[in-house]
Amino acid sequence: MERTEEACFHCGEPIPEGVSLFVLRDGQQKPVCCSGCQAVAELIFSSGLGRYYQFRQDLGRKAEEDLEHNIEAWRGCDERESLWGAELADGRRDLLLQTEGIRCAACAWLIRSHVENKPGVESVQVDTATGYTRIIWQPDKNRLSSLAESLMELGYKPHLPLASAEEQGRQEERRNSMKRLGVAGLGMMQVMMYAVGLYAGDAFGIAVAERSFLEWVSLLVTLPVLIYSGRIFFEGAIRSLKAGSPGMDVPVALAISLAFIASCYNFFVGSGEVWFDSVVMFIFFLSLGRHIEMMLRHRNLQAGAALARLLPEWAERLAETGRETVPASDLVDGDKVLVRAGESFPADGALISGVTEVDEALLTGESRPVARGVGDQVIAGTINLSQPVEVVVTASGQETTVSALGRLLLLAQSRRPSSSVIPAWLVPVFIVTVLVIAAGTWLSWQYIDPDRAFSAMLSVLVASCPCALSLALPVVYAAASRRLLDDGILLTRGEALPVLTQVDTVIFDKTGTLTCGQPEIAAVRVNPERPEVKKERALQVAAALEASSAHPIASAFHPAKTGLPDSRSLAMETVTVHEANGISGGLEGAHWKIGKAEFVLDSDAPGSDESIWLADEHGWVACFELQDALRPGAETCVRNLQQEGMTLAVLSGDSAEAVNRVADRLHISDRTARQSPEMKLTRLEELRKTGQHVLMVGDGVNDAPVLAAADVSMTVKGGAELANSAADMILTSESLGLVNKAISTARRTRQLVRQNLTWAVMYNASVMPLAVSGLLKPWMAALGMSLSSLLVVANASRLVRNNTEITNS
Amino acid sequence: MSMLYVLIPLALILLAFAVWALVWAIRSGQFDDLESHGWSVVLDDDQKPPPHPDDEKEEEEEKKS
Repeated sequence: MERTEEACFHCGEPIPEGVSLFVLRDGQQKPVCCSGCQAVAELIFSSGLGRYYQFRQDLGRKAEEDLEHNIEAWRGCDERESLWGAELADGRRDLLLQTEGIRCAACAWLIRSHVENKPGVESVQVDTATGYTRIIWQPDKNRLSSLAESLMELGYKPHLPLASAEEQGRQEERRNSMKRLGVAGLGMMQVMMYAVGLYAGDAFGIAVAERSFLEWVSLLVTLPVLIYSGRIFFEGAIRSLKAGSPGMDVPVALAISLAFIASCYNFFVGSGEVWFDSVVMFIFFLSLGRHIEMMLRHRNLQAGAALARLLPEWAERLAETGRETVPASDLVDGDKVLVRAGESFPADGALISGVTEVDEALLTGESRPVARGVGDQVIAGTINLSQPVEVVVTASGQETTVSALGRLLLLAQSRRPSSSVIPAWLVPVFIVTVLVIAAGTWLSWQYIDPDRAFSAMLSVLVASCPCALSLALPVVYAAASRRLLDDGILLTRGEALPVLTQVDTVIFDKTGTLTCGQPEIAAVRVNPERPEVKKERALQVAAALEASSAHPIASAFHPAKTGLPDSRSLAMETVTVHEANGISGGLEGAHWKIGKAEFVLDSDAPGSDESIWLADEHGWVACFELQDALRPGAETCVRNLQQEGMTLAVLSGDSAEAVNRVADRLHISDRTARQSPEMKLTRLEELRKTGQHVLMVGDGVNDAPVLAAADVSMTVKGGAELANSAADMILTSESLGLVNKAISTARRTRQLVRQNLTWAVMYNASVMPLAVSGLLKPWMAALGMSLSSLLVVANASRLVRNNTEITNS
Repeated sequence: MSMLYVLIPLALILLAFAVWALVWAIRSGQFDDLESHGWSVVLDDDQKPPPHPDDEKEEEEEKKS
């Protein structure tokens, strides 16, 4: 309850104590958490776009504090024409920006309404699903940086347009597929209508002239559908024949072309049946299946497209002429760069000035910051925590340690066992069988009744079409990934679902996965010789001292966590932050120190590395034992998995002591500490050799290769982009309970897949004899095939529908 | 039944028009994002709510600049 009162109107984050910023809405003052959010909200209201707040489905992205700095960086790119986007006719540019922070349709509307009013902008499109903003603009009327600025002032963060060419290619593919589908669908409606006339004519009689007119029109409509929409099947068939392994396209192309040619022959000769309706119906339903499959594939690709976001995009280069902001990809060995506190290093390098602490958890899994001085190596992607430093670049771009990890990941991915449900040899065998049966049918009917031979053979080809069979898997996976998304799990690789049902071993990373990566106070010891200082008092003094520090440890003392009244406004005097050691300051006449044992106490004291000591002039007062806070839901998740009989293990790069503490709390006996990415990979290979199916849950860059190599992998919320791109599933909410949810959804999915496959196989097997015996006409076969496919789709959608029932109840 | 010879060609012309319209709509990106445009009905309003006097001034200033 308290939280909602204090939450920022724009981004929903708690409002820091002492901040009193407001925006005016309908005469009411709404609190905001920072001047950035205030500026965004004011801009939205003043442009008359306040309705955004009424309709948004998710809170806004917290505004960047250093807007000016980012805009400055974009300005440096104004002259680079390669970044302006694809050139259109008359000099306009088609700019595609991946934009962070787009969460719902209201965001898309906000961006469109705001950016479209800028000079030189012709149109703006926002894709909420992929986060891409497309701007058609005229470079002579505006600048790239002011377009970026217009996005940033709304609180969204555009990224440098680097890999947009691929996305443009995919969009083209989507549009082409939609056009083929539309043409086939419209054509089908027409030809079916004429077919009704023809069948009615068969039953009640029809004049020869009218009959041939209807047939003639059918041919006229079928021809463009065949050429435009059916082309992909012919191309696919030729490609697979050239490659020497006939695919599903071969009987499809054969059926389509035979039916069409025979219909044309019968039409021009003026006797016998025409099957134009079967041809277009067949093309339409197959195109529909292909389209669904393609949409699914593209969504998966987009989820992995964020790989490049690991390294900072910009670097501040120290040139002889002064500081300049350049894209990080422009850095070369020997360049000097300035890295401010809180920024990550743009390249591997050595420190040439300054002393700082670096958060390397991304790479090593170590939860505590590491001190770095002049001459020390720093690694691209790690975060500079305390002081601005200068770094001379030793490796950039593809040469960095992180990029090497990326390559290790690709290698691990290629070694992953194939998990296709339908074995590869089955398809050609199936196809050849169908062709043999079709030919056999034709030959037998030549002896019985030559007139019906062709019609029977056509029925066999159409009836055998494994349309429902080929839809059975993709539609269930589409429904499953939708269901998972509703639950907060992003599925990036559909094939991972069946494997998830076989998992019997779960490996967890520690830092950031089982724990949140943020310290909390586990225990407070007060000095028995100083009874006048109570525990609460000690905590309050500590909180007051730590309030001035941005160090991760300071967050443990935040009043929100300790549950004590806020003491950060206590009149602290002369607070000094001693880098990598602690903090000192005066309060009510006493001089207090807080920090590590060697800083606070003169002699070594009992207690672990994780202890923080508080002392005044007269000696130590209290000792705070810190521990890494467990992720919400971690305990239930682990207990449920153990109840299901799974083997659990913790694999971490952190120290043995830290790993033991967490593993003990969760009752996981199998634990290994101080593991490099390579060692983790070896351990996984060993487990897999014993025949176990491994689910890996991790978050850091150092986990990425293991995530890629495991049978199934998940990353938790806040995981590194590289890790996300290696994972099969990304959990998008804080709780680890989603792991159990994913497993149960996977089991339901397997159930539905089995039902669908059984139905599809049974249908195909049972209509085949009817087709061979000539009882089944081609149009019946085509209709039956479509109905069978629809049934499979309807069955799959149960997975999504059940979900809404559950959430409603 | 001779009406058939008029109506069907008419239907074919309509079909050609429908195909052209569909291809045009797909080309101009109307099918790229199926979700957010539905929302613009509730969000965009030709009749703006009675503007706050301050808002009006600011809007005018924006137009000038």
